[in-house]
Formats: sequence, C-alpha cells, structure tokens
Amino acid sequence: MTELHPEMHERRILGTELLWAFGVGVLIAATLGMILFTALTMSINPPSNVERIDPKTLHLSGEFAEHNLGTTVGADGSVTARIIATQFMFVPRCIAVPRGRRVTLRLATPDVLHGILVTGTNVNTMVVPGYVAQVHTEFARGGELLMPCHEYCGLGHSEMWATVQVMADNEFRPGADGRVSCAQR
Amino acid sequence: MHSDQPSAADDPTEVGDEVDAAALARVMRVVPLGAGVLAGGAVALLVLGYLLIYWFVFIPRGTVG
Repeated sequence: MTELHPEMHERRILGTELLWAFGVGVLIAATLGMILFTALTMSINPPSNVERIDPKTLHLSGEFAEHNLGTTVGADGSVTARIIATQFMFVPRCIAVPRGRRVTLRLATPDVLHGILVTGTNVNTMVVPGYVAQVHTEFARGGELLMPCHEYCGLGHSEMWATVQVMADNEFRPGADGRVSCAQR
Repeated sequence: MHSDQPSAADDPTEVGDEVDAAALARVMRVVPLGAGVLAGGAVALLVLGYLLIYWFVFIPRGTVG
C-alpha cells in the first residue's frame, strides 16, 4: 500500500471537515425552519411582552387591584386571567379557564422574581418585578392543572402553587360582571 | 521534572515501537471513517431525541405565545 502524500492527507481532512460542517449546517437550518414553521402555522412561540408596571402600587389601583384579579370575559368574548404572584402564593389560588378557547394570562409581582408553568401545557414564563408577564394559550384538555412557581423566590417557594381549572363550555359561565370563578368540586 | 529522576527514555520498555509506515497508512485510511461514523451516530441520536420530544411532547401541548 502506498503512503499518501502529506498534502493529500490535508485535502482529505479538509474534505471531511467541510462535509461535517455542511451536515451540521443542514441540521441547524432544518431545526430553525421547523421552529419558524410551527411559530407561523401553529402560533407556538416564546411569550414576549414588554409592559412596565410599578410593583409598589400595582395592588392599590388599576388592572391588578384585588377586585380585578381572576378570570374575566370581555364584551368581545376574550378571556383574560389576571394573577398576582407574591411571596408565597398566587392570588387567586384557583384560576378558571375555558377549554378550547384562546385565553390570555397576565401576571405581575409586587416583590421578587417568580416564574410559572402549567403542567401538561407549554405555558411557561418568568414574572419579573416591574413588568407584566403575558401568555396567550389554549387549553385543550379539561380538568385541574397544577401551576407552581418554578423560580426560587424564598423559603416558602415550595408552598407557592395555584390550580388552573379548565372548564367545559357548559361549566364556564361568566356572571353579570363578566367574571368567572372556579367551581367547588 | 527533577534532573535526578530517570527519564522515560532510559527505560527500554517506555521507548516507542518502530512505526511501520505502511501499517500506519492503512490504519489512517480507516480511522477518519470510524470517527465520522461515531460522531455522526452520536449527533443522529441527539437529533432523534430532540425531534421525538419536539413532535410528541412539545407540539401536542398546544399553542402558546
């Protein structure tokens, strides 16, 4: 067997590396294409909302005042749930949402950094003091879903969780003021 | 290393074997292929795992934004 000239060795190595780089490029392009495709056709993308709010006064008046928390159905039929994440609880503790309808979750915190996720769904966001976290989603399955705080926020962090009650259309009935509360089960 | 310690070259068992150039060339023809198969297999498994989770866990969990 003849020995390859060193220059041929170099060429072979370069060829292999270029082939590998091409393959990795194709993989990256395919992955980004898939993410873009699902974002455009299925509305699956990271929640992004930059909206400031004063954490010192958010509970006193305006959108996150106590009487305004929980789920509200607007005149146009849009469903919005407003929640305060505070050490170490969510207010309200139970959030009623309809099944199969677009829901907007809006969260704010008066104290430290929190985070939420809803089990079995892609709902997942940080709740940063000074900002309103907003997530649009649609709950496909009924039942009670756990919504824990997933960002360590202090000694009581492990006790900080809420329930998302996903209701069928015949259960999800707003009152005269457009508000919906969790059903007692 | 201290100068009073023996060098590895002083020990006959530590001295490298004579290299058979033809055998080395033969091995070097196969080694890049093996490395490519190993690295390609590892990346393929990783991508497969990602795709399985993406299509069968992430997508069915529904819309979010």
